[in-house]
Parts: sequence; structure tokens; C-alpha cells
Amino acid sequence: MLKTRIIPCLQLINESLVKTVKFNKYGYIGDYINTVRIFNELEVDELCFLDIRASRERRTPNIEILHQIADECFMPLSYGGGINTFESAKQILSIGFEKVILNTAAAKNHELVTKISEHFGAQAIVVSIDVKKNMRGYQVYINDGTEKLHIDVLDWAKQAEQLGAGEILLTSMDRDGTWSGFDVEITRTVAASVGIPVIANGGAGSIEHIAEVVKNGMASAVALGSMLVYQKKGMGVLVNFPDKEKLEQILEK
Amino acid sequence: MMTIVNYGMGNLGSVQNMFKRIGVGTEITGDINKIEKARKLLLPGVGAFGAAMQRIEESGLRNILDKKALVEKIPVLGICLGMQLLTRSSEEASLPGLGWIPAQTLKFSFPGNSALKVPHMGWNNVHPLKTSKLTASFNDETRFYFVHSYYVKADNEEDVLTTTHYGIDFDSIIQHENIYGAQFHPEKSHKFGMRLLENFARI
Amino acid sequence: MPDSLVIEQNTDSTYQTSDGKRICSRCIYDESVPSITFDHNGICNYCHMIDSLIEEYQTGKPGGENRILEIVERIKKDGKGKAYDCVVGVSGGTDSSYMLFWAIKNNLRPLAVHYDNTWNTAIATENIRKILTHLKVDLYTHVVNNKEMDDIYRSFFLAGVPEIDSPTDLALAEIMYRAADKYGIKYVLEGHSFVAEGITPLGKNYFDGRYIASIHKRFGKVRMKTFPNMPFWTFIKWIALKRIKKIRPYWYMKYSKENAKKFLAEECGWQYYKGHHLENRMTAFNHSYYFPVKFHIDYRNNTLSAAVRAGEISRERALDEYHNNIPYLEPELLEYFKKRLEFTEEEFKNIMNQPPKYWTDYPTYKKTFEILRPFFYIMMKASLVPKSFYLKYCFPVK
Repeated sequence: MLKTRIIPCLQLINESLVKTVKFNKYGYIGDYINTVRIFNELEVDELCFLDIRASRERRTPNIEILHQIADECFMPLSYGGGINTFESAKQILSIGFEKVILNTAAAKNHELVTKISEHFGAQAIVVSIDVKKNMRGYQVYINDGTEKLHIDVLDWAKQAEQLGAGEILLTSMDRDGTWSGFDVEITRTVAASVGIPVIANGGAGSIEHIAEVVKNGMASAVALGSMLVYQKKGMGVLVNFPDKEKLEQILEK
Repeated sequence: MMTIVNYGMGNLGSVQNMFKRIGVGTEITGDINKIEKARKLLLPGVGAFGAAMQRIEESGLRNILDKKALVEKIPVLGICLGMQLLTRSSEEASLPGLGWIPAQTLKFSFPGNSALKVPHMGWNNVHPLKTSKLTASFNDETRFYFVHSYYVKADNEEDVLTTTHYGIDFDSIIQHENIYGAQFHPEKSHKFGMRLLENFARI
Repeated sequence: MPDSLVIEQNTDSTYQTSDGKRICSRCIYDESVPSITFDHNGICNYCHMIDSLIEEYQTGKPGGENRILEIVERIKKDGKGKAYDCVVGVSGGTDSSYMLFWAIKNNLRPLAVHYDNTWNTAIATENIRKILTHLKVDLYTHVVNNKEMDDIYRSFFLAGVPEIDSPTDLALAEIMYRAADKYGIKYVLEGHSFVAEGITPLGKNYFDGRYIASIHKRFGKVRMKTFPNMPFWTFIKWIALKRIKKIRPYWYMKYSKENAKKFLAEECGWQYYKGHHLENRMTAFNHSYYFPVKFHIDYRNNTLSAAVRAGEISRERALDEYHNNIPYLEPELLEYFKKRLEFTEEEFKNIMNQPPKYWTDYPTYKKTFEILRPFFYIMMKASLVPKSFYLKYCFPVK
């Protein structure tokens, strides 16, 4: 049977690897190629890179870096950050990335989503949705959490599916970098309303959190950030991956 | 020396990279003369069946490929869409496939309320049904990265080397004489992919 | 790169290299080592220095073993009520990894500290992780911005000096102090062993915070923001104000690198690299290529001499290994170096071929350290600076 996908999600700002907390402050993690090499050796099943400030800073993807990353990896790769043209998506998909992740651009240019989906297949495009809890429910944000998107999160998720997205990367801004567990509630709500896989992101602190969001949150896959680059909460940087046997055991129960 | 066929579709760089990592020299080419001299062929493919077959026809490589595969019978490995192209037809398109293996390509179809999503995307195990050079050292724990909405069904069970379970048991690796097909992406399956490509290089 | 074959000279078994350089009759240092002298028995001053250190610290003898146990008790006492009682710097290498085991065995509660210069190999990171998980030790790290670090390395390469790895050494020292300060810890344990590694010859290699700053100012382009340099007053703050002590357990107890490696591998699947210091790509570049090719220095004579003095290998074998084999160079290392630091093949060759420069060509704090010798003497007596620091920094070089 299909194993739940556990995806290290690495954040790039300019050319450095960082890790954010609540989309705000960040710590340095190191050199991206070095980190990729380590994940290669750890034989992780998939890698995701997000250049989180690209749209906000009006930058386009750094193809040179992406090339280096793709040359180094022997597992599926996805990239997001500043992809706002078809050409850009095409270029990234041709250098060795399996999927492109669109957030701001998807919200502002629906046709782009459809075009990429039609040309490369739905599985090549992931729409990323960032949400923050507020008194009325959940607010969707774009531009690295700086701009509100005035659409209900479920409506946007369903629309993304209709436009041709193959997956949704759902990120809880509140939980990001906190080690306190995923937002299981919103994950389940979104996953129940779309037919495409939902990747839960934001807040993972332990293997138990992973199991929880998969079983109760209906997540098809799980993105991990802080857990994989720090030894433990509040301690030093150490690139790692949870014990695969323990993962299998806890997910199988 | 491995010849990777370039007919305009597929992620050739990654495949070449993995061969390089395991120490196998490769050439990526769409040139008839180079393909003529090939001793082993790798047929990659990503995208749609119809578009791919059209590209192959337009590239002018159809005749030489048929010759190498069916007459000279050199080892050929089709991966991902490349495996589907080896079959005679696909539900995805009206154009026929290469027909090098007696098999057909069908669409995954699950009831509306099924938890199984299409495409089948992610890591999954292969279950060997018989031994072969391509699957040397494989067991039930061997796994690969799959991304596909269509699957292959070989006409004859003896052509099936491994099956994989996703709702149904579909053929993940097939072989008919010198023609091999693997549904997954070996170049994205780190050590497992390397093992498969190493095995193929040794055939 | 010493290319000479060794020949036996006289019936009194003295040796010399084929280009006529005299070799110590006890270890394998020869006349090319700076500031070397030989006594009437042909034994070099470095052997004597090690002998006198062993005598002073009673290394591996009951006196030394007792002394370090006393220090351990003091560390425990001073650490009561705190989250950790000492800091241990880790690199993924043998000495520091074993030091953690030793600390735990003696019921200390260490905080592991790692300075990530972003050039680590996966082996190093994995070794660190395995040991920390096995021993349940917490980790404090400081990761420098990779672009900044590369700019500093670039500067050193352009400056033409040998100490290209010194920013990492100084940064680790600074980070260990910061970690100690954060948790109120008063002891930093270092895995340096003069018995296992010998003493780096005085004279040619030197570094301090001002040296790094002045080279970076001259050749660097990226502002130093995340790099933890140690300017003079910061150093004084750590030793005189915060009074954080430096302890080197291997100076007191019996320690064999070979046995340590075996132990680590058995205990937690730790992996060894194909040579000294290859857990980090910059260190590997340094030892396998930069030193030998540009400066004609091959630091393997340090560890080989140490092994000979300790009776671990014969002098003949050490001489043979040193003179007839070259340091192991990982195949893609040079490409990685050039690509990452953005040097073309030609630029790289040109810089390698330029005449070497030394620390005396750039501003440093050396004079200040010499003037303040009496002050540092007191610091040394209080274990606030290691004796080797005192000898190396506070005396003029001949």
C-alpha cells in the first residue's frame, strides 16, 4: 500500500537555508547544497524547497541554484517561490523538478494554474495556501503572509482543484516553527472538501504529530520543517530525519 | 554505454545523472546515426501518451527504433511513460503505441468516494513474481517513486516481473524478451533506482 | 610536498632526508619544521616540549588521572542547579566525540556545542547526531550565513596565507564561550591532546580576531554579521570577567585516538573518515591540498610523530608513510571549492601560484598579547587560558 509521504520542506531566503517561526523571524540552517547532500545520504523520499520571500521581494526563481539542487538529488523535488509565468514553471520542470508550487501567483492568475496543469499534468502543480486563525475562522494570506486574500479557504481550495491543481500544500502560519503539532482541524476540513491530496504543513514537533494529522486530519502527506533541521525544540541546528521504522510503526497502527 | 533516446519529452538530465553516479556512461541523442550504433536503449517519458507517440513519429526515429528493438533485439528499458509507450495502445489517446510488448495501457478508475486519489503518486513497493536479471536482489521491501494516472496490463502473466498494489494490483515491471518496462521513476528512487539501472546496465 | 626518500646515514642510526635535512632521532620532525633544534642525542626540542608537558601534567600517570578527577568534581560542584555543568565542542571527529563519552561516564552533564561553517560533510552531521542521540546530550549550534562564510574563506585564499581554516577555529572558541555564558556554565572541555596530535610548530601559523578582521576588510565583500568573530575585548570579557575556564582532559589522562575510533564505532555506529579532519570539506581542502601544494607543509608529521612517541607505530614506518605517500585528496573536492567560492580554474591556479604570505604581513593582536604577558600568565595559572596559548601568543617568535 502507499506510504504516507513525509517531505522535508526547506526554506530559502536569497541563497541561504533558513527556518522561520510563524512566518516571521528566522534562523540560519546552512548551505543548501550541503543540506541536500545530507538528505540524500539519509535517503529521504522527497524534498521541497520554498523561496519564501520571492514574491514579496518581486524576485524570480534562481535557476542556477535550482540546477545545482536538481543535479544533487535522486528523489522527487518540488519548488515554490516567485513562479508567476508559464515559462518559469516550464523551465523549473525541465531541469529536474517534479512539481512547481504556486501561492501568490495562483491566487492572482488563475489561468496560469490551468495552463501548467494542462500542459504538464495536474501532478506537476501544487497550489500552496497559507492560513492564519482569527476570530471568525481562518484567513487566507498570500505574499509570504503579508497580504490578505479575500476568499474563504475552502472555496479557494475547491477552486484550485477545479483550476487543475494536483495537490494542496496547506500551511498553518500560527503553527509554523512552533513544534506544537499541526492544525488538524483545518487540514481535515480542507482535505474533506477536495478530491486531491492535501499536504499538511506547519507545526510538526514529533512523530506523534505526524500520525495525528494523517489519521485525524486526513492528510495524504506531511511536510516537516523545524523537526528536520534542529536537534530538538530550542536546541542547535542538526540536519536529521526521524527513524524510518518508528515512522512506519506509528503510521500503520 | 547507454543510449538515452531524446524525442523531446522526459527528464533526461536526471536519468543521465543517476547513471553517472553509478559509473555508467550515457549519451542522450535523437540522432538516427547514433541510435543506429546503440547497444542498449533507454526510453524515457513524462507527459501524455498521445503527444509522446506523435513526437516519436515526427522525430523520424520510429523505423530505427523498431529495428533496434524488434530486429536486432538489443536490450531496451522504457521508464514511466516510456513503459506505457511500449504497449500497443492506451486509453489516454487514439494513437497506437509502439506495440513492442503485448500489453495495453488503462486508466486508474476508482469510485467517487474512494480514498485513493489519481494520479498514483508517491513511493510504493514492488512485489516480484519471478526472478530476472533486471530485478536481481529485489524483494517485497523494494520500492520506487511512482507518478502516473494510467497503468499497464500485460496480456501474458509470464511477461510480468513485478506488481504493485494501488487499489488494484498493476504491472510495475514487465519484460518481453529484450524489451523491459518500469512504470516508476528510477532516477527519483535513490538507492532503489540505482539498483535497477545497475542491473539493466549489466544485462 | 616532501618528495624525498629517506636514507640511513651513519652507524649511529641518525637519519636525514635525501635533500640533506636532519631528522629527529626520536620522532620524524626534520629541519624543515620551523624553530626546530636538536640536542646532543639528536632529539628535537618538540620532543622535549612534549616530555616536559607530560611531566608537568602527569599525563596518563596516576598523578594526572587524579588531577582530572579532582577537576571533574569541581565542575560538578560548580554546576549544581544549572541545566548543564560543562560545554564540549563537537565536530563529528574522534577527539570531541570520545570526549562526550568520557564526560558522561564521569557523570558530568555536558552541553554539546557545534559551530557549523556550512561545509560539513554528511558523515560529520550523522556522527554528531548518532552520538548525541546515544548519550542523550543536548546540542547548541551556531550556523553562520553561508554567503558570509564563503566571503571570509575567499578573503583568506586571496590573502595567500595558510590559516584558511582559522576562522572556523576562532568561531568555535567564541561559540563555546557564548553557549557557556547563556547557561551560566564555567567550564569548556576541549579535546586537544598534545600526546595524540603533537604540538603545532611555533612561528608559521597564527591567528586571532584582528587577523581575521583585517584580512576580511582588505579582501572581503560581504559584511560580517553572523560570523562570530572574537575581538580582543570580547576575549578579555570571557576570561577575566565571566571567568570561563578551559579544561583539556586529554592532557591528564591516557588517550589513544586509535582506541577511541574503535570504541565509537562499536558503541554507536560512528564512522571514520579517510584521514585526519576530513569531516569538513574546508579542512579537507586545507590539509590535503592547500598546505602541501602552496606552503609545502604536510601536517601528517604531527600525528605520525605523536604515534611514534607513543609507541603506536615504528619510526621507520612513520617515515615511510610520511615521505612515500601523499595525503588523501577526495576527487571532487577541488571542484567543490572552486565552484562554491566562485573561482575560475585560471583564477584558482594563479592564486595558488602566488608567493605565500604570512600573518606577519597583516595586522594582528600579537604585540598586544606580548605586552600583556604578565596578565596572561595569571590567566594561565587560573586555567582561564591554556598553557599552549600562553606560550604561543605571549612570546615573540624567533
